[in-house]
Parts: sequence; C-alpha cells; structure tokens
Amino acid sequence: VNDRPVVAVVVFPGSNDDRDAGWALGSVGAEPAFVWHEETALPDGTDAVVLPGGFSYGDYLRTGAIASVAPIMGAVRHFASAGGPVLGICNGFQVLCEARLLPGVLRPNRQLEFVCSDATMRVEAVDNVFLRRCTVGQELVIPVKHGEGAWYADEGTFVQLAARGQIVLRYADDVNGSLGNVAGVVNDTGNVMGLMPHPEHAVDPLLGSADGGLLLAALVDAAARHGALAATPV
Amino acid sequence: VAGARVGRVIDLEVGVDDADAARAEIERMCGELLANPLIESFEIRLEDS
Repeated sequence: VNDRPVVAVVVFPGSNDDRDAGWALGSVGAEPAFVWHEETALPDGTDAVVLPGGFSYGDYLRTGAIASVAPIMGAVRHFASAGGPVLGICNGFQVLCEARLLPGVLRPNRQLEFVCSDATMRVEAVDNVFLRRCTVGQELVIPVKHGEGAWYADEGTFVQLAARGQIVLRYADDVNGSLGNVAGVVNDTGNVMGLMPHPEHAVDPLLGSADGGLLLAALVDAAARHGALAATPV
Repeated sequence: VAGARVGRVIDLEVGVDDADAARAEIERMCGELLANPLIESFEIRLEDS
C-alpha cells in the first residue's frame, strides 16, 4: 500500500504512448494503473484518468471515433461527470472530442503531412486543474507528433470558449492549421483537458524539456485532491 | 468542372422491411458515430435488396 494517487491509463488497441505516459506519471508521483479498453470499470481507487496517444482502432472512420464508444468510455464519462480529472493526449484528445467530452474536433493537418518536432506553446488560462503549476503567458516547449491535429470548432464556439478560459494552450507558431493555433482545450468545468502535444515526452531536461512535467504534476495534484475528496465520509 | 467532393460511402445491410424504421435507425447511427456533425454531413439512400 502506498499513498501515491492512482492514475488510470486506458489502453486501446493501437495505443502506443501508454507505457511512456505511465512512466512519466510515475516520475511525478503517481501510481499508474493500466486499464484495457474492454473493461467497463476503472481500476479500484482511480483518482485521475489519462487517455494516451497512439492510433486507437487504427483510427478507422475518424481519429478517435471508434475508441469514443469503447466499453471503458462509459466509466470514463461517469468519472468525468463526477468531477474527476481526465487528460487526453494526442489520440486521447481526439477520443475526448469524438466522445463530446471536449468541444471541437481534430482534422488532418493543413499541410497534409505528419508533423514531428518540438513545439512552443503559450499558456492561456490556468483556472483549470491541469495548468495550476503554470502562469498565464508562460511558454512551454513540448513535442508534437501527429497527422491529424488541426483543432476546429465553429467561430461562435471558439469565441465563447476563449472568453470562458477553455482555450488553455496555443502554439506560438502555426504548427498544423489549428484554429487560433489551439494546442489544448478544457471542458466547461475545467476537469477534462485534451492537448495534441505530448507532456509525457517532456519530463526530463536530458531529453530536451521538462515542461510537460508541470502539466502532469498538476494532474497528479488534482488526482490527490480528488482521492481525498472521495475518501471523505459524507 | 462545376464541383468536386470527397467523401466515404458506408454500405449497411439492415434486416427490416419498414423503410421509415430503417431510415430512423441509420440516422441515429450517423448522429452517434458514423458522421461527426461538426465537420461532416451525410445523406441516406435506401435500396431494396
């Protein structure tokens, strides 16, 4: 038994960053618990959920579409609606949009080419559980690697999201044709976030940047708070 | 060329005789999964088999 918050990492067929996510979460104080997509419940004591990067179900139909109706997603939806922190990275972001737990959709990159590089992004809002260790205007360097990362929503939705602080990360440069250079968004209650960049690949300065660790550590903070809340007798 | 479009065709075999029921069922499937209304539109064509 240990007191590390349990962060469930969902594994879909075609997920490929699940192990990296688990390792990175461990490095910032979490106990990762991998959960297969066919399960209908999250592991006991789950305090937060991560949907990792990859190519779930081969990205057939649309990226993230099939995964959005996987058996485990009912439990993820329930966990999110109860205020539990849920983070979708890259393909996980696409899954959360398709599941309509996050606004918008990810389209093919405007340049129609896979992009794989470090990206600089600006923190736009910190009144959510994921960016509490950052400040507004702070620049983060986190790698991106995706073919379908151009976030899109209609103009009215975009303006509304920006006004509500739901547009939380924007690329400093145009990386993929994303509307407003959006790199990450949160839901209206600030406990569900998706981003195309990979914070789990940026937790050690030796590998170029540790900026992703700020985000993951804030997720673990939120997981610990959520766990404490769940453990409080009513 | 007056117009061009790219899309996908999904052939579904449904085991019902009632065309209205079939259409309603397929519309539900399109709304929930087969199409994403933010970026896609869809059209249903029924054929007897």
